[in-house]
Amino acid sequence: MVEFSLTEEQRSLQDLARKFAKTEMLPVAAACDREGRFPEEVYRKAWELGLMNLNVPTEYGGSGLSVFDQCLIVEELAHACGGMTTSIIANCLALEPILLGGTEEQRKRTLPAFCASYHLASFCLTEPGGGSDAAGLQTRCRRDGDVYVLDGEKSFITNAPHAALYTVFATLDPSLRHKGITAFFVPREAEGITPGKDEDKMGHRASSTSTVKFDHVRVPVANRLGADGEGFALAMQTLDHTRTPIGALATGIAQAAVDYAGDYANKRHSFGKPIGEHQAIQLKLANMAQEVHAARLLTWQAAWWIDQGQRGSLESSIAKCFASDAAMRAADDAIQIFGGYGYMKDYPVEKLLRDAKLTQIYEGSNEIQRIVIARELLSRYA
Amino acid sequence: MSSSVLVVVEIRNGAPVRASLEALGVGRRIAGPPGSGTVTAVLLGSGSESSSTTVAERGVDKVLSVADPRFDAFHAVVWAAAIAAIAREIDAGTILVAGTSNGRELVGRLAARWEAAAVNGVADLSLAADGTLMAVRPVFSGRALQEVRVDQTRAVLGLRPNAFTAPEPSGSKASVEAHPTPDLGQLPALGVVSGFEPAQTGSGPDLSEALVVVSGGRGLRGPENFRLLEDLAGALGGAIGASRAVTDSGWKPASFQVGQTGRTVSPQLYIAVGISGAIQHVVGMISSRTIVAINSDPNAPIFKVADYGVVGDLFQIVPALTAEIRRVRGS
Amino acid sequence: MELLVLIKPVPDPETRLRPNAAGTNLDTDGVKWVLTGYDESAVEQALLLKEAIPGSKVRAIAFGPAPRTEEILRSALALGCDAATWVEQPADTPTDPMRAAAALTVACQKTPFDLILVGKQALDDEAGLVGPALAERLGIADYGPVVDVRWDAAGRRFTFARAVEGGSDRVSAPTPLVVCLQQAWNDPRTAKLQNVLKARRIAIDKVTWAEVAAGIGSAAPGTHVTAFRLPPPRTGAKMIEYRTPDEAAQKLVRLLREEAKVLP
Repeated sequence: MVEFSLTEEQRSLQDLARKFAKTEMLPVAAACDREGRFPEEVYRKAWELGLMNLNVPTEYGGSGLSVFDQCLIVEELAHACGGMTTSIIANCLALEPILLGGTEEQRKRTLPAFCASYHLASFCLTEPGGGSDAAGLQTRCRRDGDVYVLDGEKSFITNAPHAALYTVFATLDPSLRHKGITAFFVPREAEGITPGKDEDKMGHRASSTSTVKFDHVRVPVANRLGADGEGFALAMQTLDHTRTPIGALATGIAQAAVDYAGDYANKRHSFGKPIGEHQAIQLKLANMAQEVHAARLLTWQAAWWIDQGQRGSLESSIAKCFASDAAMRAADDAIQIFGGYGYMKDYPVEKLLRDAKLTQIYEGSNEIQRIVIARELLSRYA
Repeated sequence: MSSSVLVVVEIRNGAPVRASLEALGVGRRIAGPPGSGTVTAVLLGSGSESSSTTVAERGVDKVLSVADPRFDAFHAVVWAAAIAAIAREIDAGTILVAGTSNGRELVGRLAARWEAAAVNGVADLSLAADGTLMAVRPVFSGRALQEVRVDQTRAVLGLRPNAFTAPEPSGSKASVEAHPTPDLGQLPALGVVSGFEPAQTGSGPDLSEALVVVSGGRGLRGPENFRLLEDLAGALGGAIGASRAVTDSGWKPASFQVGQTGRTVSPQLYIAVGISGAIQHVVGMISSRTIVAINSDPNAPIFKVADYGVVGDLFQIVPALTAEIRRVRGS
Repeated sequence: MELLVLIKPVPDPETRLRPNAAGTNLDTDGVKWVLTGYDESAVEQALLLKEAIPGSKVRAIAFGPAPRTEEILRSALALGCDAATWVEQPADTPTDPMRAAAALTVACQKTPFDLILVGKQALDDEAGLVGPALAERLGIADYGPVVDVRWDAAGRRFTFARAVEGGSDRVSAPTPLVVCLQQAWNDPRTAKLQNVLKARRIAIDKVTWAEVAAGIGSAAPGTHVTAFRLPPPRTGAKMIEYRTPDEAAQKLVRLLREEAKVLP
């Protein structure tokens, strides 16, 4: 059975997110982008309204939403600002390994604090030496009695300078490749943690990104998620759950591109009529609209599949890859429709392109997504 | 329908408010010429006797003055009780109320009391051949117009200020009658007005009643430059307004704000200076009769809604305009 | 303290207005109905009072057709109202603001109250009749447009500022009372996600049309809307061409006097 209509409950979640995006995010989006400012007041408000820890079950005080419902919210937020959305949903990514791999005791020890007051968490997987090749990570964890000692550096970590907790993936021995990777959660207070300076990025400039150095950081065994060597699988499982919302984030950016371009096409005149009456513009708008529609449906389908308890690697890879490419094309076309104005920072569409670009790169580059898709496909014919 | 029209005249600072005088003209029009129908004006409160003279010269047939201090403070419930009683007494068919702050509140209450139909915010009123009242009223902040037909024999109509012309004083004078306070029936417990706080809107007329409004926006660059607008408003006898950008920046108090979240104004002349014309602002002034925009940006959306536009440096245009208005007005 | 707040579903302020085919009303096809404007400020005021007065409860009441009316009651519940009453208006039943006031009176009479809060007017038809007419039917005093309603526990009165031309009156009044609220002065809150979800599970009380009709009689409404149209589009300003600021001023003043006839 297929059901494409949203419930009243889902519609009200959408409305809430849309209202927040419009009243809290959009008014500061351009300035934050220009200044590279991390709008903590927006994030606090998002937390207050329950828009931050969407995936944390209600028993720990979170919002306890299905992946599908998370996607509805993420799309609405990203319509106003992709960068802020990334920072808002970074907790979902960072806390997901605890939800998936943590014991009840570990969940109770960590999650309620994030729901009771405003705290950020960061997911630390990528390293300066490589992101896509996660099995080749170099950050070391060495057992020393009741603790592990972490040494290494993570890079491109969202919210890292502001985080209260890091979920860290480290290896017992790099030669073990994925079999050596082990996951931990590490509070910011632990000695030896140094977040780097905020990166000066092309887009997502309202989000904060930096390196994190771990220098002889002692982490109790009680903070290990799962067993030794189970970290790689946990990271992959986590990304299976959070990849689809990235598709929704890209869909939000793409929809914004369509909305700005459609509005402009009706208002801007050339050759004596609104440019929307020229076929050259109509064809662009039609393509954009088709792709956004497809991106949304792929995202919904992947989310639904995961909510059915399926792994959804293939579906979420397709959704994330397609939606982020669609966002890139839609932003590009929107700029073209705006013409010279589109290239100016006074107009909102060039930011969409810069924000969309990241969605093709992070949480598994689109090249990796395509490899996943192809492997899955080929295995069916093997 | 009875062609007896009762007009409620509100007194402020010892004189009838202009919007009430406008209502007198409407009353005459729907009652028909003197002899065919009657227009009765009613004034309530201590100042009613002295104001009655002004009212009597404005084409009405009779003026009733109820000089009872119980009406000095406005309590809709008390006013409604008195006016409904008088309307019954004179067998009125229509009651007209000026759409002031008090008047707008009075209409619904009075209609419920007098068991009549009610229409508020009427900007145009006509009488069909069969005597049916047809009202036109702006809705959705002036973005649309509604035509409302009155289907009952009794109606209370609230009239939008500045939408109708007040009749000039005529030679003939209607009779003025001191009317005893009608039986107000059982009144509920009332509030007590303990003080008045004047709005910080400068020395000119009240923003929502002014015939001319001069509004400033971000283009003024700073609160000190409102002096230019005050000079212009002074020359025109107008009030000062502001865009949301100005009140949000604290250049002017919120009471100056014209727009969706501020005041709605509909003066004869609205001059927007250095205001880009965001929809937020426009809905608050779009029903002004004539709109002038002065802005340095030829693409500012304000020029789409204005009747006359001047593209240029407001710091040069506004003083020149003030001087020219002073010149033609001979002051 | 028992607080009632009366609300009305209105089209989202960003709706592109279009008359229906008959030209008699707004084309409601695709319109999103929301709790906003004066009503939103009234709800916020009710919730502020509830927070300030221990043991208070807020009930939201709305008259209108399903499903839009239920939806805005859910919005009010999500914001923190404790209960909600839907006063049924069957589709195709003609109504007008005075009729709405009468229907809402029936609902108010079914529940105890100390204070009724209502938007000074709705953002769509801007009639401003419901609050005062309802107060008259209930036989209690009303004040509007007001802001900043507070409870004076010692004096057992509500105090508020009532906007009048040129300023505002400080007023205090005993219960029971109707206040008609000004909009956009109290920065209405946004509902929390958890409360949005919880609000869906609260049962909404219903006053049926039969009950309403029994209370208000069967007479037709006193007015009906015969036309709904958009004002003629403003075609853009006549731009003043000039070489010097003085010339611009002279041309403009001449046009204002001779063409627009707005300057004496």
